Amino acid sequence: MDAEAQESFRQFVAGRSTALLKTAVLLAGGDRHAAEDLLQNALVKAAGRWQRIDEPEAYVRRILYRQQISRWRLKWRRREVMVAEPPESGAGHSPDTSGAAELRLVLRTALSRLTARQRTVLVLRYFEDLPEADVARLLGCSVGTVRSTTHRSLARLRELAPELAALAPRQPQPSRDFSPVEVRP
Amino acid sequence: MNVEELVRDALREQAVQQPPAPPGFADRVLGARRRRRTRRVASVALATAAVVAIAVGGPLLDSGHKNHVRPSGTVGSGEVQAHPDQSPPRELIGAGDAVLAAYYTAKIQPQTDRRAVSARTYWLLDPKTGKYEKDSRWSFVAVAPGLRTAAVLERDLPAHRIGLLDLATRKVERWIPVRHGVGGLAFSYDGTRLVATTYDENPDLRVREKLFRGKGKRDGWMWGVRFGESSRSGFYDLDVASGAGSWSPVASGRDINSRADFAFSRTGELVYGQRIGGRDGLQQFYDLKGDEVAAPANEKYLRSDVPARLSPSGRLAALGLTKEVGGRPGRSYSSVRDPRTGKEITKVRGGHLLAWADEKHLIAWERVTSLEEEYRPQLVLVTIGSDKVVPLSGVQKPAEPTDLVEPWEPVFARR
Repeated sequence: MDAEAQESFRQFVAGRSTALLKTAVLLAGGDRHAAEDLLQNALVKAAGRWQRIDEPEAYVRRILYRQQISRWRLKWRRREVMVAEPPESGAGHSPDTSGAAELRLVLRTALSRLTARQRTVLVLRYFEDLPEADVARLLGCSVGTVRSTTHRSLARLRELAPELAALAPRQPQPSRDFSPVEVRP
Repeated sequence: MNVEELVRDALREQAVQQPPAPPGFADRVLGARRRRRTRRVASVALATAAVVAIAVGGPLLDSGHKNHVRPSGTVGSGEVQAHPDQSPPRELIGAGDAVLAAYYTAKIQPQTDRRAVSARTYWLLDPKTGKYEKDSRWSFVAVAPGLRTAAVLERDLPAHRIGLLDLATRKVERWIPVRHGVGGLAFSYDGTRLVATTYDENPDLRVREKLFRGKGKRDGWMWGVRFGESSRSGFYDLDVASGAGSWSPVASGRDINSRADFAFSRTGELVYGQRIGGRDGLQQFYDLKGDEVAAPANEKYLRSDVPARLSPSGRLAALGLTKEVGGRPGRSYSSVRDPRTGKEITKVRGGHLLAWADEKHLIAWERVTSLEEEYRPQLVLVTIGSDKVVPLSGVQKPAEPTDLVEPWEPVFARR
């Protein structure tokens, strides 16, 4: 990487890393440190081919999504299952779920307990607002897989946060992988 | 609202609340790339961890920022967030990298005629609302860098489990059970490890002491700290992500306070604790097996009673009060030194340096009263090379020796 490329790389990081980090934090289930690692890895890869990349942001985002679902590291996986005791629950501790703010907090915790793949699909669909076809292209899978993963992720969220059940009636369980339910057009 | 809409809202809310990317992120990435290429490290995870540990650069508040005091703000902002009318604080106080993550007061709870315990109550920053909320479940709280997680001990000390509290949800995400009772906690500089100091009995015991009030006044009594006796037994060095770690015994002695918590050195290779001796602020370092060792070269001249310690770059050391100038109010100055030689580089305003906001600014206690009056401090932002102080909090009310409640004490963490 020559001096000019390095300068343009620095400018890109200074200008876009805050926005990229927001996505990375969502992908990492709210774990800021893991998100910084994730983004750093993606940027290191991008730096390696900086002079050959036409659209740096799109490139970095693609690496972020893909590395998250295909190769999320052992330590993250371990973090997800290393809960020695389940988070507090029960009558004495259950949060007041009457308000939307509380529901979002409950949901945030539930999102952090999804698998990386499930979370990535939800982030792409509902945070990046990408159509199913684009999500499929980005993740290198079929539209049917995107649909079924979205459906299963939402179902899993309902399991993890029963408070959500009040929002919408539970949909019938999918009989096939590509059941087109609960996915916005 | 259906689930999809709620997911969308929750994700957006979480994204909006994220602080900006750390300063110097490009350098961090380029440094990681360089190291990866030259060392050909097989494990990506290891390389990343090393880089995180090295990334210590803090944001520089430029001169345009230093006078810009915002009445309130979010945790994510690197600007100055001040509430000079609030003591104890109700809303977020911070500057640059340093945030008042919590504060506590302590109240004496008599147990017998002669013995009492000074029990703390914490107010923790709610990262969502930017307000301090009382959480009386904990007797000790340490906040990790990033302000997402706190390590907590339950009410009765020493405690036999350490909680990792999610500050946003206020729920304990995980308990780390410990065989030896723990009385104090401190995170490493990078937040990946926790040193837990073990004690055989409550380190905050108080004993009844005679109080001499001077000629013509009746003597009284007060609850005092026990000197010359400590039940400190050693420490755990724990990996925060996995909860795994080991316990190392450290012999107690007469030259430590009843509470003499360990903390990590900057690199996390050693721990240190306060030692009582010929002058204030002495420190004793130990390796992670619990054996006494010499201080590392860059921490040799630091004082255990000045919490700010090394600047973000490690090139400056915050030392103690060195000069007081009369007037209304009086002005205090602390010493900033070269950590390797111990030589004074400059003096900076502030009587007690608490945390580095960046390489040029610190948060300190500074008096609002004259030198002749009773010492009453407030939190201020001070600048190296300037006599200006920016009030950050209201004035801390002093406690009388016989008071059962001690004034609020700040707990700082890096954003």
